[in-house]
Amino acid sequence: MQTMVETRNLRKTYSRADGSTIEAVKGVDLEIRQGEIFSLLGPNGAGKTTTISMISGLVTPTEGDATIGGFSITTQSMEAKRLMGFVPQEIALYPELSARQNLAFFGRMYGLGGKTLSRRVDELLDFVDLADRQKDRIDTFSGGMKRRVNLAAGLLNSPPLIYMDEPTVGIDPQSRRRILDTVKTLRDEQGMTVLYTTHLMEEAEELSDRVGIMDHGEIIAMGTQDELTQQVGEEDRLEITTGAQNVGEALIERMQQEIAGVTRVLYNPPEQIGDNGSESTPARLTVFAKRGRTALPQIIQTLDAAGIDIQSVEVLEPDLEAVFLALTGRALRD
Amino acid sequence: MRKILAFASKEIYTTFRDRNLMLLMFATPLVLSTIIGLAFGGIGDSELPDFADIPVAVVNLDEGVDLQEVIILPDQFANLDALPFDPDDLARVFNQAGIGPDQLVQDGAPLNFGDQLAAILLSQPVEGAGTTATQGFDLTEIGCSLLEESEAAGAASLAAGGNLDDLLDATAVDNADQARAAVDNGEFAAAVIIPPGFSRRIMPQFAFDEDLRIRTQVPDEDGAVEVYANNGQPISVRILHSVVAGVVNQFVRVSVALGATLETSVNSLAASIGRGEINLAAVDLSAPAAALQDLDATALEPLGCLITPGANNITVAHPPLEAIQEAPRFARTIVPIGASQAVFFALFTGVFGIQSLYEERKYWTLQRLIVSPTPKVFLLIGKLLGNLVTVFLQILILLAALTLVASVVIGEPTFIWGANTAAIVVVTLALALCVSGLGVFVVGLAKTPEQVNLFGPMINITLAVVGGSFGFALPEQAARFSLIYWGVDAFTQLANAQTDITVNLLALFAQGIVLFLLGAWLFKRRIDL
Repeated sequence: MQTMVETRNLRKTYSRADGSTIEAVKGVDLEIRQGEIFSLLGPNGAGKTTTISMISGLVTPTEGDATIGGFSITTQSMEAKRLMGFVPQEIALYPELSARQNLAFFGRMYGLGGKTLSRRVDELLDFVDLADRQKDRIDTFSGGMKRRVNLAAGLLNSPPLIYMDEPTVGIDPQSRRRILDTVKTLRDEQGMTVLYTTHLMEEAEELSDRVGIMDHGEIIAMGTQDELTQQVGEEDRLEITTGAQNVGEALIERMQQEIAGVTRVLYNPPEQIGDNGSESTPARLTVFAKRGRTALPQIIQTLDAAGIDIQSVEVLEPDLEAVFLALTGRALRD
Repeated sequence: MRKILAFASKEIYTTFRDRNLMLLMFATPLVLSTIIGLAFGGIGDSELPDFADIPVAVVNLDEGVDLQEVIILPDQFANLDALPFDPDDLARVFNQAGIGPDQLVQDGAPLNFGDQLAAILLSQPVEGAGTTATQGFDLTEIGCSLLEESEAAGAASLAAGGNLDDLLDATAVDNADQARAAVDNGEFAAAVIIPPGFSRRIMPQFAFDEDLRIRTQVPDEDGAVEVYANNGQPISVRILHSVVAGVVNQFVRVSVALGATLETSVNSLAASIGRGEINLAAVDLSAPAAALQDLDATALEPLGCLITPGANNITVAHPPLEAIQEAPRFARTIVPIGASQAVFFALFTGVFGIQSLYEERKYWTLQRLIVSPTPKVFLLIGKLLGNLVTVFLQILILLAALTLVASVVIGEPTFIWGANTAAIVVVTLALALCVSGLGVFVVGLAKTPEQVNLFGPMINITLAVVGGSFGFALPEQAARFSLIYWGVDAFTQLANAQTDITVNLLALFAQGIVLFLLGAWLFKRRIDL
């Protein structure tokens, strides 16, 4: 399969006001194949948006380069940009213009005009099911409708590659479902390559042919979902929320050594939240175990014997969340 | 180019669709101008305060010039000898004939433009521009075609044009310091101080080079008329300034035309001698003055007409004064007020129109544009072009709206900005360039939108204060630093049927271009994300 996007040692460093620097992206190497949905998965602040911004030509890399369909984004940016569409996380539309006016304006900036532009706008309004609202101002639309116009604006030039930066943020489940279906349609029916960033594991799992997991500006794992989950083995993951009692190192050590099948135990103590620290999150114990359900009675018994209150228990099959947890020691939502 | 136009069109469209912006751009300046105009200009024939009888002190210190000293004929060919004369060697002709300024213009040919200006302001009968005619030779005998007709008609027109009784209450004062003190005390709205070198400045020396082409030599001394203003009466002062500028401009034209006519006359005279039309053999070279009397009057006609007051085609006309006097009071008032408000509010459009770039960045429309295959410089040009056109339209629409308001108040259709539509459009364009350039510069200079919000209005208000938008005027030297001054002055001049707005246009275009280029350079950084 042909390569649509390739990055080599893509790096971005920002300077702070005090003269120090922060490395937002630390040398990312990627290869995205034509016609696949590639998801960049990672928590907020992992460097996903900066990476996608560099690949789309929005931000100049401090080091390295990216090619789109063989064109360098730094030295052949106009050629590269003609091959891509962009759906940012924000609603990048003019609120005082109608849906049609927005699409027509951005279409002109892609060099479309006349009947071609008008026809393309009609097609896209139908595609996102907003033809009947085309003359209404964007600021009268619901969040989900805005997202759909936002998506349509990224498709104006019928690009072979489209970037979508967390396109489902802040919308209702129904609109979210609609957008996810649209993304799959773009790949399946139009053969489009999709570079998708998200911090939601479920979205990455549902959509992606391949996933790159980012943390602290680095790709820490990349591959198909099967390839990634194999990295954490066949272990189940037991998520146990506990009371405020401290789970000490000794207890964790004992669980790992004495309970059959348990390979690893991670403990996240309760955190103070709220303005005055008046509230706290529950403590969470993550136990990796082969045949988790078999090990569960003994785990509960051990915790009970140590005086730890158990509030809930959940047994999870291996997934991307587990991969991330296994690789970073933190949950994606952290 | 299509992308630039698309971006500029979007800018203009979104601006004119914003109701809040419409209120700020149009309703506010219109309402303010109308209220102030009604307060100071009155409604129709009501007894509200008017700009009649503006108290003015007139100090005339002008020493005048002697025409004999002004005209320097060629004298650098003293060694040329025998006849016949070569028509091309005109210097030889003059030298042989012994003709010099003494013979052309007799001693005691004073010319005092200061007297005329003072007389006009004081509504006194205007004396002739020169009083030399009867000395030397009798010009009434010269067949100057304009002489008889213009003597009568010119005097009448000067008298009518010079009568500013309705507008000014002028008093002659001998001492400039006394006049300034009286203005400071509030006794006068302004003092018009005519300096000693006023006429010398207007009428520089006319010398001739070897080819008999004229060389004017402007004296170094300062001959500018000073209008010393009372800051509390800016509109009165502006009107007075307009009157003085109008008259002085006419005087300056006398000088320019005199130079051209002199050159023609001297050449014509020399050629006549050269062709033998004047019998030099009959000329007694020992008595050049007497000989001059015998010269063919036809040869001297151009000069004769030139130095005879009111008899040449360079009479002192007064359309500005008439225009001011004839315009309704409300129109006279609303022109400077409306123009200054229009420009002042356009300044906000200039700054905040450009500042919308920050909004575009905040809402990611700028990012979407950058990701499209559109060079950043197109976005920059589109943004600036959109702002420029918006400001241009804003000022133009405000001028039209103010005309409408004035027509309603006056009770009949009145185009208050003067008849020179092309000049009005050019001034508006120059102002738009300047205003938009300032906006680009301010936004380019600021590091954050918050800084623009702080410094933009500060700069705009400062320019408005300095430029006289708030009802009081700073000294003119200071006001010249404000683009509002140049714009309002240009509009006021055009409204008063004056067309000499070259300096205003130069000042506005120069400021506009410099600010635009500098601002664009700074502003480009804002697009680099």
